[in-house]
Amino acid sequence: MENMQAVNNFVAAYLKKKGFKEAEQLLEDLQNKESAPIDFHNDPELAKFIHRFSQSEDDVARYQDGYSKLRSWTYSSLDLYKHELLRVLYPVFIHSFMDMVAKGHLQEARTFFNNFREDHELMHSRDLQKLEGVLSQSHLEEMEFARSLRQSKVNIKICQYSYDLLLQYLHKTQSTAMLGVINEHINFQVSSGQPSSISDDAEVVTLIGSCQDTANQINQKEIHWGLLEDSLEERLEKAGGLLSDSEKTEEENKEGDADDTKKRSVESGKQGASTKKLKKEKALNATAKSARPEASTTPAAPRVKAKLPLPLMSTEVEQSILEDLRNRVQLSSVLLPSVSFYTFLNTHNGLNCSSISHDGSLVAGGFSDSSLKVWDMAKLGQQGGSSILQAENDSTSSEHVVGPNGGKRSYTLFQGHSGPVHSATFSPLGDFILSSSADTTIRLWSTKLNANLVCYKGHNYPVWDVQFSPVGHYFASASHDRTARIWSMDRIQPLRIMAGHLSDVDCVQWHANCNYIATGSSDKTVRLWDVQNGECVRIFIGHRSMILSLAMSPDGRYMASGDEDGMIMMWDISSGRCITPLMGHTSCVWTVAFSCEGSLLASGSADCTVKLWDVTTSAKVPRNEEKSGNPNRLRLLKTLATKSTPVYSLQFSRRNLLFAAGALSKNL
Amino acid sequence: MSIVAKETIEVIAQSIGINNLSDDAALSLAPDVEYRMREIMQEAIQCMRHSRRTILTTDDVDGALNLRNVEPVYGFTSGGPLQFKRAIGHRDLFYIDDRDVDLKEVIEAPLPKAPLDTGVACHWLAIEGVQPAIPENAPVGVIAAPSNGNTHEQKDELPVDIRLPVKHVLSRELQLYFDKITELTLRKSDSALFKEALVSLATDSGLHPLVPYFTFFVADEVSRGLNDYSLLFALMRIVWSLLQNPHIHIEPYLHQLMPSVVTCLVSKKLGNRIADNHWELRDFTAKLVALICKRFGHVYNTLQTRLTKTLLNALLDPKRALTQHYGAIQGLAALGPNVVRLLILPNLEPYLRLLEPELLLEKQKNEMKRYEAWRVYGALLRAAGQGIYERLKIFPPLPSPPGHTIWKSKEKVVTAVPNKRKASMEPLEDEPALKKIATDGPIGSLALVTTLAPSGQNDAGQPSSSEKKTANRVGKDGQTLKKSAILNQIWKDDLNSGHTLVTLLELLGEGILSFIPSPEMSLFL
Repeated sequence: MENMQAVNNFVAAYLKKKGFKEAEQLLEDLQNKESAPIDFHNDPELAKFIHRFSQSEDDVARYQDGYSKLRSWTYSSLDLYKHELLRVLYPVFIHSFMDMVAKGHLQEARTFFNNFREDHELMHSRDLQKLEGVLSQSHLEEMEFARSLRQSKVNIKICQYSYDLLLQYLHKTQSTAMLGVINEHINFQVSSGQPSSISDDAEVVTLIGSCQDTANQINQKEIHWGLLEDSLEERLEKAGGLLSDSEKTEEENKEGDADDTKKRSVESGKQGASTKKLKKEKALNATAKSARPEASTTPAAPRVKAKLPLPLMSTEVEQSILEDLRNRVQLSSVLLPSVSFYTFLNTHNGLNCSSISHDGSLVAGGFSDSSLKVWDMAKLGQQGGSSILQAENDSTSSEHVVGPNGGKRSYTLFQGHSGPVHSATFSPLGDFILSSSADTTIRLWSTKLNANLVCYKGHNYPVWDVQFSPVGHYFASASHDRTARIWSMDRIQPLRIMAGHLSDVDCVQWHANCNYIATGSSDKTVRLWDVQNGECVRIFIGHRSMILSLAMSPDGRYMASGDEDGMIMMWDISSGRCITPLMGHTSCVWTVAFSCEGSLLASGSADCTVKLWDVTTSAKVPRNEEKSGNPNRLRLLKTLATKSTPVYSLQFSRRNLLFAAGALSKNL
Repeated sequence: MSIVAKETIEVIAQSIGINNLSDDAALSLAPDVEYRMREIMQEAIQCMRHSRRTILTTDDVDGALNLRNVEPVYGFTSGGPLQFKRAIGHRDLFYIDDRDVDLKEVIEAPLPKAPLDTGVACHWLAIEGVQPAIPENAPVGVIAAPSNGNTHEQKDELPVDIRLPVKHVLSRELQLYFDKITELTLRKSDSALFKEALVSLATDSGLHPLVPYFTFFVADEVSRGLNDYSLLFALMRIVWSLLQNPHIHIEPYLHQLMPSVVTCLVSKKLGNRIADNHWELRDFTAKLVALICKRFGHVYNTLQTRLTKTLLNALLDPKRALTQHYGAIQGLAALGPNVVRLLILPNLEPYLRLLEPELLLEKQKNEMKRYEAWRVYGALLRAAGQGIYERLKIFPPLPSPPGHTIWKSKEKVVTAVPNKRKASMEPLEDEPALKKIATDGPIGSLALVTTLAPSGQNDAGQPSSSEKKTANRVGKDGQTLKKSAILNQIWKDDLNSGHTLVTLLELLGEGILSFIPSPEMSLFL
């Protein structure tokens, strides 16, 4: 600076001597301007900034050093603020690592990573596994996960005092590398008042690729989680289980008020009613509904209109369902369900998935040898086990082959896929099965004809999951190609494609009112999509590993999701928040299911247990109270252990009998 | 830097025909190879999850390769794990033992047995939330209580393990077997066939279903057939055989068996004829009881205490018959020296006082009674002698210098023994009844020898600790001071047992006194 001043003076003197008045003036102006706004010495931020740039070429040891210092400072900080400060460590850690890799100091980056990975192993083991492999700059660019991390900022909620503490520390110790990382990648949401409690941090630390803001924005969207108006349950409630036939047909006609008439062609005979009449009835219906809200015992969920044209139900089917509903066992935390367990034997580790029809009479298993096998449990029960002769039908495409010991198979074999079958689902009436496979196709099978009806091609990668909608006809699929798709049985092209997940879509589930589907993904988020317009309407963030199973409560209010670590999270759909994590399983939660009136949640896991959870208490206790008390008090009602049989699927029948299925595996 | 070493890359390059791979290339390839491998493994894990498995298999890796449009690894799976072998002549060079598989061989190999076809079995995992105790369900106890706060709630609702009544089905063969055995027991228990049957009972493996029937049979027959000596003996032999059988789990039936066994031990009257050698039966049963206690005593810790209580009551009740006393003594003696020491020896003096009149010819005129009394006396002698013998056996061997004195005194005893036996024989000859005991059942005299030999050995040591005079003399002349200190220590430890010994000797001595001449006695005291 001293030098600079001297030069300036020299120049000024020279200009004066030569008589360059204008130039002299300009220089003076310039000098004044320069010195006024930019005060290198007095602006610490800028100084740091420049300082940092000046040292960016410096050795990478700075990161290691800075991080270890920051770490020890954090660990020795006051307990009250410690957990908040600890949250900062993980993003700093991974970004420091990636910075080092990006600058080409691979060896140092490796040692740095290995030195400190222990700290974060518990919470972020999977992310760390992914990052561990990053060994060059090109990997950083190539790897989506790393890229999204680099591009987005992490939101961290922190209280004012902790924030001040942190800044103070960073300034005092001149650890510019850390400051740089923090500035670049962390977005502090400073809140005044007390530091938040420890239990709060689940979602805060999850690093998601998409910006948290957009997620928040999405979660602001309106959502109609109510049940379908005019559902069978509602009708049962209204009529007290005593519907006359005439009423029923009228109501049936009413269902046809949708635009799409294609599917109604079968039942067009009944469609005599004019739209006017329909409207009138609806108005009546509405008044009836408003007239008796107090009559129903449960707080009635709001009713919504179906956005999809819904298929019609035949009278007999409807009657049988109503019969089931009347005979339903009311389950509660003191009245637990009976569980019937279907054990697959001799699967030789080949069973990939299983599915149980709604009445529990049919059980399907998808195998890694591309076959789909369906057992008729009613017949199995009648003939008592081993040597059951399935009614043979040579005309069907699914051949029955004589078994090795001369006896016939006890199941129906569906062959057609050319890759492991990853998922199977029964239509609500049990007359169709859908199966999805690694050969990228979904196949529709008829259990009546024992034949393949349709092959749906559309996905480009293995289809991990397929689910029938609660009303049938529509189904949703989830695939490795990171999309979920909505299909209808009568078209071979998908109706909607839901894209947005950052990794494989692993599971899919329909909302009770068929207007939404939820998808769980390996990017650790669950998303809710509007079926009508294909938009994402909710992002549920909180899981720490890949999501394996989803279930929607029958009242449409809640959603449960199970992940690879054995955690189950209960979500409030309307707010997009986690109500409570249900902890208890020690391994992958393969399946979750709500009981029919939504009071219980059953979960089946690779740890060979079926657990029953109390939904009503866990949902109703507000979150704040939750924190104060024992976080997982009383939710777990019961653990039912199987004999070394991981539970693959659970299904509540309409009468609230719980069916479970799994493959006996000896090497567990 | 990366897990994959540069050399590995070079080796792989060579294996695909690139011989001149530059170092730089290998170096930069290595991290990339690792990255790709990790990527593939992560996708393989994805595939594993979608196959609902928690164990990664090669199929998953193939699936992951498939996802990336990479040719899967083709190959012939080897049954076992790959083995690394050390190359001969090199210290740190290993290779995989990968032997060539002749395709023809594979093709022509006989087809393996077809695996069992997949099936579905159905059972109730829970009925209204309670797990029924059926074989398909995991036993309730196996469910380890979770470590968190859920435990107390779970306890409330843990289902009571109610065993459903099990229908017991006996095969036709087993029924026949049982009928045959019972018939043999009842009718021809002295035939060779019965001996065969006993061997079969002791060794055959499939008899477990019959155990409840046998126990019931034994209990039933014993209660009915107390007069039938041979039947009782046969029944006890059956129990013995059942106990010997390693395949039988007899524990749950012990409570049914024990009463009948104890009955055969301490019943007043076993068999209705004089010729029935019920003593033998009691001896046998005593051994049986001891066996049971030895085998199941640790499982039922009350078993032995209850048994000894019963036996002791029988022994100490003066109103009981002498036969009962005999059984009780035999039973207690069979249970081991500790029982004898703790239960018989303290009661020896009063009991002997009780027994004494029965033994004497002039006081007890009934020959039968007197015979019984002598039997009891013999048993008592044997029990006490055995107890003491065992006790002495566990004494540490005395150091050699004092050994001399001991040997000396022992010699005296040994020489005394024949005298004494002779002496004891002499009066026996006077009494024909007692002579019979001594000849046909050498229990009495044998017991005398066993008691006297060890007691003689102790005799040398005993006075040295209890009666200071002799002890000091022995200590001083025979050995150094150090050794005497050690000896004193040892003797002090056993002082208690020494005291009992003395009293015992005195008691026995008194018992014997009437038959043994006084010179012999002086040697003892």
